[in-house]
Amino acid sequence: MIFITVGNHYQGFDRLIKKADEIASHTSYDILIQKGYSSYQPQSARYFDFVPIQEAMQYIQASELVISHAGIGTIILCKEYGIPLLIFPRRKKYGEHGTDHQMEIAKAIEERKDDHIYIVYEEDQLGNKIAEVLTRRQRPAPGANVGRANLIRTIQGFIEWVNNKRP
Amino acid sequence: MKKSKKIGLICSAGGHYTEMLQLWEAFEGYPKFLLTYREVTTKDQKGAYYVENIFRGPLAFIKGVVKTFMILLRERPDILFSTGSEIAAPAFYFGKLLFGTKLIYLECSAQVYRPSLTGRCVYPITDLFLVQWEPLLKKYGPKAKYVGGLI
Repeated sequence: MIFITVGNHYQGFDRLIKKADEIASHTSYDILIQKGYSSYQPQSARYFDFVPIQEAMQYIQASELVISHAGIGTIILCKEYGIPLLIFPRRKKYGEHGTDHQMEIAKAIEERKDDHIYIVYEEDQLGNKIAEVLTRRQRPAPGANVGRANLIRTIQGFIEWVNNKRP
Repeated sequence: MKKSKKIGLICSAGGHYTEMLQLWEAFEGYPKFLLTYREVTTKDQKGAYYVENIFRGPLAFIKGVVKTFMILLRERPDILFSTGSEIAAPAFYFGKLLFGTKLIYLECSAQVYRPSLTGRCVYPITDLFLVQWEPLLKKYGPKAKYVGGLI
């Protein structure tokens, strides 16, 4: 399954939903779309607006590829489960977000060259990129998240300090 | 034995919520509560208080701020932790000014080069201020810390 997700943001992301639906209409890919506040109604792909996060986690784990806006939640979960992720950032100029910070996230990740994250900036490149990623069949091992471990340790250290400091 | 401090966890829905769940382990063993937005995605979390998105309109803003105040009054947390966003601002100011609560703020990993509005708003009163991208350190100031990011 390919899971397409555009998160919780209040603006729609029709460019991605339309393109994913178009791809669903002329390929045999099993495509499931979380369309959020997008107004376009998919004709070929299965879709829903929102589900509780635990359910979204199950869809991600069951996918061979996730395609999403440059949303933090999806990036974190794909990293945790070792699922290949194709990022297509929202753009301010198309009314998809208030700022272009999703471009900044995409570029910062691109510079890092993660082996399971792919970035596409134009929707007409999505089809080719999907085919490329699926043929590659590279499935990264779910790795230890060093940043997460450091954050937890730092926060715990602070809590302990507060705990010991005051009666 | 000393009584453990109580921790209030505060976050908006979406990526902020996922970030909170990623860090849940840090708060194991402490009495705690969660305050988040009422959305389909955040449904049915144990021990959670819900408010409407405070940016949904003036009425939602007032109701959200009043409810936040009532929750702090009832729970009296010793520490507040937030992964953002704006939902944290009223709670942080009430907590710090009224009860001297210790504050931990984690800037969202969506902020690579530019500080968020909420981050700038709570930075002056926050005790432990963490960013998830190094370039942000110099945008904030000496109090900001970078130890790694979630993405």
